[in-house]
Amino acid sequence: MPIQILLVVALLIALTMTWKRAKEGVIRAREAVLWSIVWIAAGVVIVLPETTSAVANLLGVGRGVDLVLYASVVVLFFLVFKLFTSLDRMDKQITDLVRKDALRDLDHQDETPTTNNQ
Amino acid sequence: MRTIAVIPAYHEETRITPVIQSIRALVDAVVVVDDGSSDRTQEVAKQAGAIALRHRLNRGQGAALRTGTEAAIRLGADIIVHVDADGQHDPQMIPVLSEPLRAGEADVVFGSRFMGIDPTDMPKVRRMYFHLAKLFNIMVVGISKQITDPQSGARAMNRVAAQRIQFTQDRAAHCSEILRRVTQSDLRWKEVPVHVRYTEDTLKKGQSFFEAFKILWHLIIRGTK
Repeated sequence: MPIQILLVVALLIALTMTWKRAKEGVIRAREAVLWSIVWIAAGVVIVLPETTSAVANLLGVGRGVDLVLYASVVVLFFLVFKLFTSLDRMDKQITDLVRKDALRDLDHQDETPTTNNQ
Repeated sequence: MRTIAVIPAYHEETRITPVIQSIRALVDAVVVVDDGSSDRTQEVAKQAGAIALRHRLNRGQGAALRTGTEAAIRLGADIIVHVDADGQHDPQMIPVLSEPLRAGEADVVFGSRFMGIDPTDMPKVRRMYFHLAKLFNIMVVGISKQITDPQSGARAMNRVAAQRIQFTQDRAAHCSEILRRVTQSDLRWKEVPVHVRYTEDTLKKGQSFFEAFKILWHLIIRGTK
């Protein structure tokens, strides 16, 4: 099928780019191997779609498509959680910054009428 | 003992002057934290005789209270009282709240609306809601069940307590958070009856159960005790 050829070509480009970057020292060899595994695995799934069903059956899931769906829900859940925590951290940092800025004003205000009028 | 009142204020230019004026005579200093209002809250507060700080961005009531508390500590406060800017809190509650601190009977004092003095014009639905919230707070948030008013915003604490309770909730959840932290610590705390006035304005601001879940959520992801 043409779509398979197209995707495999794209993956081959990704694979060569990965190793080109590894040679340039942009990414480490270990990272290049990891990414290569991802590209090759994707290639296998594209060329032989039945493999997903084999893996799915191994995990007790009926169809390969179902496995992919379940896996994506888990990955999405994880990503949303990460997003939440990083947003929360950012919120806290903004508050800390705003507080520091507000308290800097305190030094200029020490001689306010409140204390004098007592 | 140096008593400083902390008032978080957001868009309160029309209401804050009488609040500051009625409180000034009762404390040594008033710290107002303008929480990023787009009106003249900070200027008005300064004119009324308060030390007025400003959050450049709106960070919520809890964040403003903590900034004000931090400022009060730096200004040498022995007793720090948290007051609402909208006049919901009767200024006479300040001496009531700070008395146990002066006497050395407690480190933190909470004002309770449900200890004898009936709130003025508190709607029935609201009252029922508070009782539900109380149950929820005890069971889910882990606040001591001896607390009669888990949503109380009126509180006073001594310097040591203020330095120890690092509340991190920026928004309305700080109320329950402070209660949790205090009642689970070895700080001595006490509840005293206070009187609260309900007006149409103050009723618009409310708390939701959602806030309680926020505390739990933060306990899980931030891991702060």
